[in-house]
Amino acid sequence: MKARTVLGVAIGTLAAAALLVLLAGASPADAFAALLRGAFGSKAAVGETAARSTGLVLTAVAAVVAFRAGVLNIGLEGQFLAGAAAAAAVGPLFPDLPIAARAAVVFAAPLAGALQAAPAVWLAEKRQVPPVLSTILLNLVAVAGVTWLVRGPLRDPAGDYPQSRALSDAVLLSPLVPGARATAAVLAALGLAATAAFLLARTPLGLALRAVGEAPRAARAAGLPDVRLRSGAFLASGALAGLAGGLEVLALTGRLYDPFSAGVGYSGIAAALLGGMTPLGGAASGFLFAALGAGSSALQRDAGVPSALASIVPALAVLGLLLARGGRTAESSR
Amino acid sequence: MTGFVEIALLLSAPLLLAATGELVLERAGSIQIGLEGTMLVGAYVAFAVGRGGSSPEASLAAAAVAGLLAGLLFALFAVARRADPILVGTVWNLLALGATAFAYRLAAGETGSVLEVRTLPRGLFGIPDAVAASFLAPVVLHLWLARTRAGLRLTAAGENPEALRSLGLSVVAVRSGAAAASGVLGALGGAMLILTVSPTFVEGVTAGRGFLALALVVFARWKPLALLPAALLLGSVTALQYRLQAGGFGLPYAFFLALPGLVALAALALASTRGGAPKALGSTAP
Repeated sequence: MKARTVLGVAIGTLAAAALLVLLAGASPADAFAALLRGAFGSKAAVGETAARSTGLVLTAVAAVVAFRAGVLNIGLEGQFLAGAAAAAAVGPLFPDLPIAARAAVVFAAPLAGALQAAPAVWLAEKRQVPPVLSTILLNLVAVAGVTWLVRGPLRDPAGDYPQSRALSDAVLLSPLVPGARATAAVLAALGLAATAAFLLARTPLGLALRAVGEAPRAARAAGLPDVRLRSGAFLASGALAGLAGGLEVLALTGRLYDPFSAGVGYSGIAAALLGGMTPLGGAASGFLFAALGAGSSALQRDAGVPSALASIVPALAVLGLLLARGGRTAESSR
Repeated sequence: MTGFVEIALLLSAPLLLAATGELVLERAGSIQIGLEGTMLVGAYVAFAVGRGGSSPEASLAAAAVAGLLAGLLFALFAVARRADPILVGTVWNLLALGATAFAYRLAAGETGSVLEVRTLPRGLFGIPDAVAASFLAPVVLHLWLARTRAGLRLTAAGENPEALRSLGLSVVAVRSGAAAASGVLGALGGAMLILTVSPTFVEGVTAGRGFLALALVVFARWKPLALLPAALLLGSVTALQYRLQAGGFGLPYAFFLALPGLVALAALALASTRGGAPKALGSTAP
């Protein structure tokens, strides 16, 4: 990516954000200060940003893994929900055995995410159904599944609201630093991003995956097991998104409710795009989105600017990038 | 029972309009998975204009104009600039959700009071005329696709864009036109929701209807007439849910919510290849 493009998109996005702040009747300088304070201004603020980044980093890495292998996995949202549902199902089973309960969550959530992706994998390879279509449909099914689970099998009998039973305090991950919300889940997400970056860039497996994504026919002609590589990347992507959902429950919410996600699966795709479709770039963008999210709460409180700014700004940045790069992003699509 | 039929029709119409628009675009070879966002923009514009004191008919017209702009914006990115339509659509959803929430906050302030707009008056069939007209949209589209030269060209852009190009015609122009039409219909769908059953705006008021409409297109195997029974079924199920919820039975609703997705998935699985999707769906224009 050219430096000029990056600079142009950054300036354009900042200008648009300033305009929105002016529309809301606040001064851009005050707003920017409030935003920074909310995202990084205190121990609690940094913790909030880090805590919010977990899901975004993992779904961004999940998007990168699939997209680089040529699979447009739009089902991250559904896979995230499947992982969260699995965590809410197994998490409360061992209220007094935190290690067992956490292990169960960390095992079940990625599995559920991969299973949620599995029908799309089968449809893509056996029926030539574009993953875009199948994963959007699977997202609908997952959303409906959460609606059903929190009112049916997983419902907390003690509560008045349709939500699942809570994980016990002993099982929930505790903050790394007292007074901040961030837990070890953030470190796990960053570790997985680094692992994915290494695998994609430095190993024969990563090279094979990228080859299948960029030139499927040539990769097949060269004798690469293209179906297995694509399917594996798709399932791994689902597993990462599922883990994101599981960690959301284990580290932050403690239970499943409806609606559970505000579109983290879709934001993860945007973060991956802004990060140039690399795991570390996607992780950095995910962190930036999380900082915007944490900062915008302060922005609304202190400067009266609606916090929805936090979802407009990333979208504008990505649109700017798409406009600047045009068709060059289309190669990886299938 | 008349109440039930009326609500079912009112709930079917937005889905039908949005799905018809999406079908036009997909038959032309592009795909806008940000239909939810377009519906949301239509809903917000209808609400904002209605709150300004304009008639429901004027609100509907304003939403159509907003939809036209949304469609042209999509065409600029995904057709003319040849960016991946899937990525453009994903980001469009995020932008529309954020922008409408932002605008609503500014318009409504922090009061949180419920602001209602005037709804469309009942017409000839006991439902608003615009709602009744929505049910003609798939029929008109079917005839247009099958009987007119322009309709054939649109289909060609989705099945064999190279052939269209070899005739000296612009695939970009055809798909851009389709994107504009789909934007208008999607926004009208969102607006109709506000101007009939839910006369106030809340964040994400479309509640996944754009995604349901995407499922309907697959379910209908990209055939306009098949949208009619599919949308009516879904509208009836949602109307039934209102009844059941009032009676205290919420549970089967989740199953019905999952049904369009499940049935569309089954349709894709059972079809021989690609489930009947246009051959060049999602391809870049030559």
